[in-house]
Amino acid sequence: MHMQSLTRAPRTQADRHTGRLMILPMLVVVSVFSLYPAVDSFLLSLHRWFLGLPSLGRPFVGLDNYREFLQDPIAHQALLVTAGFVLASTALELLLGLGIALVIHEHFVGRGGVRAAILVPWAIPTVVASQMWRFLANDQYGAINLVLFGDDIGAYVPWLADPWSAFGIIVLADVWKTSSFAALLILAGLQLIPDDLYDAARVDGATAWQRFWHLTLPLLKPALLTALLFRTIDAFRVFDLVFVMTQGGPGDATQVIQFYGYKTLFTEGRVGYGTTISVTVFVVILMLSFLYVRMVGSKLLERRAT
Amino acid sequence: MTRTRGEHVLLWGGILLAVGGSLFPFLWLVSTSLKSPIYVEAIPPTWWPDGSLVFYRNVLFEHRLFDYMINSAIVAGSTTGLALLVATPAAYALARLRLPGTAWILRGLLCVAMFPQIVIAGPVWRMLERLGGLNTHWGLVLPYVALTLPLAVWILATFFNDLPRELEEAASIDGCTTGQTLMYVMLPLAVPGLFTAAILTFIYAWNEFFFALLILTDPAKHTLPVGIALFQGEFTMPWGEIAAASVLATLPLIVVVLLFQRGIIGGLSAGAIKG
Amino acid sequence: MLKRQFLMPIAALAILVGSMVTLVLFKSPRETTHRTSTLIATTNISDRVTLRFVSWKPDHPKAWDEAIARFEQAHPTIRIEREIAPHSSTAYHDLLSQKLKNRDTSMDLFFMDVIWTSEFAAAGWALPLGARFPSSERQKFFEATIEAGTYRGELYGIPSRIDSGMLYYRKDLLEQYGFAPPRTWDELVLQAHTIVAGERTRQPALRGYSGQFKQYEGLVCNMLEFLGSLHGASAREARNPLLTLTSPDALTAVRFVREQIVHALATRAVLTYQEPESLAVFVQGKAVFHRNWPYAWGMANDPRHSNIVGKVGVAPLPHFAFGESVSALGGWLYGISAYSRHPEEAWTFIEFMTSPEMQRHFAMHASLAPSRIALYRDDAVLQANPQYRALFPVFQTARPRPRTPVYPIISHILQRYFSRVLAFPRLDIREEAEEAQRMIERFERLVPLQS
Repeated sequence: MHMQSLTRAPRTQADRHTGRLMILPMLVVVSVFSLYPAVDSFLLSLHRWFLGLPSLGRPFVGLDNYREFLQDPIAHQALLVTAGFVLASTALELLLGLGIALVIHEHFVGRGGVRAAILVPWAIPTVVASQMWRFLANDQYGAINLVLFGDDIGAYVPWLADPWSAFGIIVLADVWKTSSFAALLILAGLQLIPDDLYDAARVDGATAWQRFWHLTLPLLKPALLTALLFRTIDAFRVFDLVFVMTQGGPGDATQVIQFYGYKTLFTEGRVGYGTTISVTVFVVILMLSFLYVRMVGSKLLERRAT
Repeated sequence: MTRTRGEHVLLWGGILLAVGGSLFPFLWLVSTSLKSPIYVEAIPPTWWPDGSLVFYRNVLFEHRLFDYMINSAIVAGSTTGLALLVATPAAYALARLRLPGTAWILRGLLCVAMFPQIVIAGPVWRMLERLGGLNTHWGLVLPYVALTLPLAVWILATFFNDLPRELEEAASIDGCTTGQTLMYVMLPLAVPGLFTAAILTFIYAWNEFFFALLILTDPAKHTLPVGIALFQGEFTMPWGEIAAASVLATLPLIVVVLLFQRGIIGGLSAGAIKG
Repeated sequence: MLKRQFLMPIAALAILVGSMVTLVLFKSPRETTHRTSTLIATTNISDRVTLRFVSWKPDHPKAWDEAIARFEQAHPTIRIEREIAPHSSTAYHDLLSQKLKNRDTSMDLFFMDVIWTSEFAAAGWALPLGARFPSSERQKFFEATIEAGTYRGELYGIPSRIDSGMLYYRKDLLEQYGFAPPRTWDELVLQAHTIVAGERTRQPALRGYSGQFKQYEGLVCNMLEFLGSLHGASAREARNPLLTLTSPDALTAVRFVREQIVHALATRAVLTYQEPESLAVFVQGKAVFHRNWPYAWGMANDPRHSNIVGKVGVAPLPHFAFGESVSALGGWLYGISAYSRHPEEAWTFIEFMTSPEMQRHFAMHASLAPSRIALYRDDAVLQANPQYRALFPVFQTARPRPRTPVYPIISHILQRYFSRVLAFPRLDIREEAEEAQRMIERFERLVPLQS
């Protein structure tokens, strides 16, 4: 008995039984509040259901809603806006995140304080950040105009009025809010790189740039990829920013797919079609998650196996 | 490890930019919240506040912000407690007990953590409607627990995995059951991990907006983010009050971040990279 | 070592959790005892009925408290319990529809936004009130407000007040330049350009116009007022602008708004404005003309908010050359839930609250414009609200927005169309209008629009 538990072979029957009991509550909660709803949503997306028109009933319509999705110009535009948002915000966040990570990885006086300051945007509720940026971008009282134009109020720009600049402000707000998160993921990668590699490079006479380009960056690739996927998936789910700042306007220029789904589902009461939109988003994200899990998820298991 | 002059300039320039960029927008909000009403709508805006507390008085005593804070504290506190209660044994079992299917469960959890909220919102809403959970705090806490479990389990599993095995084995030789081992041997060692998971769960629940917007429609039950998002009256745009409310909603989190910066950084990267 | 390092955080966490627990422990029992005590109170007096009235937080809570106290005094067997919903119309809508979909019997009375009648009626959520409210009574109200409460010939909502779009203008500036309030949009454009040019050196920030053009429901109101004023007020097109979204006239009107109003008289910033932002520009003295609802009168003449007290005039919105003025009808209707257990008592409440006496009360103490026509000749009302003399002709131009159970969908399509053509100045208006029309027709096939 003792010998068996000392080796890492399967433990006793009783142990396994306890183990199952230990994970059971977690599995139940996740199944009831995440898995079942996801399945339920998929089934709903196969029905036509208008909340305000009970006389139409709730007929099963097969893939009709998905066909409608393929032909819906508003949905296509929302997907395009979302893709643009994901690309722009993720790219900027990775660049900034890398910069921040390199800085806070260094040793200097007051590093703890600097790290905490950088975490502030991440800790602020997104709703607060959204109201804040809406105010910063205000055409009359906004700090952005104050910083750029000072007292020359004739030059003040209504940032949220123009489709492109409104989109830009949404991206900017997201970059401000989440770059520090990207930086933390990258920082974790930096910490895994042994210092003696750098010392060796210094001895060989490599410049700072060469050390970064030929040493840091290649070794950082896994961390960068993780941050990339994490941010991509998260950016796909953007909602609060648009809800608070623009309600999708002007001219649907900031209407991301999550917000469109929310509008159809909860304001218009088109339950079947709204659910179809959300399931489509879900499938895209699921595919990205699989990628992520393949890259990262099995590491814990690998290490246990060795 | 001495830096050249150029490297020094680069480093401190970077620090200044990062700190300034991170803090300036929020400081502007703080400044706005401390202005008198006439200065909030001054054109051009003024840089420095005149130190008026009128907006804080308004939000606390006329806009039930205090209720929102209590609601948020109840919801976030219960979510944190419940999530840890469920996640800790699960994480231990997954990290140490070599159950069949462990790999799949861990992978599945990562996928679940990525679910877009909107896909589960509708069915969860209908489920709560049947159970009478709409407009109740527990109706919000349950989905929050489900949404935060994956991250909590990952952080804790990573942590348990890094703990030395010898202690457990000793405990097992001494005749401890698995439960006892977890309770008396592993748990005290895992306090830092528990702590990180708790902070991250708490921040998530404190900040979440989408579910709170759908489930809590009664203003008396609103959490802070919903209260702040719906702050706007029908006919007025109270920027000063919004700023004051936002500062109050954020202060507890800033305190948490200042105190536990190290644990947060470690915990966030554990869920994602360290594995 | 380990211990000391984590002592602080652990202590903090303990305090945090401890305070949560105390909060939970101390908060919930108080709530439950409160609930049981009211329960006992209501069951003890067996013939006393409690009505649950779901409304938003009123702007003048005291006037409402007093009104309800007077009702309970007059009807001692009925008690009114109020549930306060979010102020945002959309959030309030979602709350009501959730309760009604849930067949919630605890709610007896609610407010309906004038655009919800058809949806609530078609869904069977609102109780028909026609039998209780004969046409002799209906004739005493503004026609548009009754129309807004009607779906397929049956009445579902009783107008609590009237709300409609109107033109505010700077009386001082118009007088100074010798202008009478504009009757047509072209006159408005001409006057605004003259005044802005004339004031350029003194008031460089002065603009010609400020209205609501953000992508939201208010945009639909603003734009339908322009489109509706192309025609005579009784024309079919004026009653349902959706019939003619793609007609040459309608396209010209939209182009007019884009080229003459939004990107000329106003600044592009109006594309981000809802009511508060657009009113702020006007009360700062930075717009000659301003489109808003009746409430703006009080704000514009309140020295705490306004730089232009006493310099404000109000008139019906202008119209196009061969048309008549039209304004979007807003406001709230009293409705009874189809699942209420006490419809009789609920009706008693509505009858009381919409009586001439109570409408007078609300006009005098909460500045809510009466939906009853006779009160515009009432001395007490006019003394408290002298502006009602000028507003009365404006209210007669009010028209409900398109009445259909799928209004939220139609509104989103219109918001998208109008916002796109205004925000992208080079977009082809005809193509956008045709796309919007096609989308609307798809839903009209499900439920025909009422004309």
